[in-house]
Amino acid sequence: METVLNVVLCTSLACHIVMMDIAIWRVWRGENAIDRLIGVDLLGTLTAAVLILVALISQRGIYISVAIGLAVLSFVGTIALAKCLTDKKMF
Amino acid sequence: MSMLLQLIAIAAVGIGTFFSVIGVLGFLRLPDVFARLHATGKVNVFGVVLLLIATMARAQLEWGVSLILICFLMITGPVTAHAIGSAAKRLGLPMKRAVRDDLARDLNSPK
Repeated sequence: METVLNVVLCTSLACHIVMMDIAIWRVWRGENAIDRLIGVDLLGTLTAAVLILVALISQRGIYISVAIGLAVLSFVGTIALAKCLTDKKMF
Repeated sequence: MSMLLQLIAIAAVGIGTFFSVIGVLGFLRLPDVFARLHATGKVNVFGVVLLLIATMARAQLEWGVSLILICFLMITGPVTAHAIGSAAKRLGLPMKRAVRDDLARDLNSPK
């Protein structure tokens, strides 16, 4: 059962890394600015998912704390960029 | 008991990865900014939260930090999606194959 869990975790990690590549490609070749902003938000979410999978594989809880920090910074950055794109000024 | 927790962890990781793949496929294939935003919300709410439930089922990891991160993601996911959608609407991005646009009708109607 432990080996089954490890196989599922490694397959899921590979899937998430491929999905991060897709998100980076959409940020690079997006249709418009909002499309790229959605790509950046998705990239932050997938990076947090990869960190949680690494915490599950290596069984060390410090990676979940790193994922919390990443989620906070991704949230603030996305909100600030959306406001900056709409109002053409930051504050 | 340990067997049951491992089964819960395997199921949560599998379903979470399935939702993430569906969300990213929708982000690639859907025709519109708003529809793509709807698809990426699934990755935020279902994919990462199910992975965190899998970490809570593992006995070696502490579950309080995972619970804090679940609450944070549940709060900030809709806020982020609403901010991006509001920005797209105010920038005037087109909606493809839209049946009706109630917000534009309300904004253009005289008081």
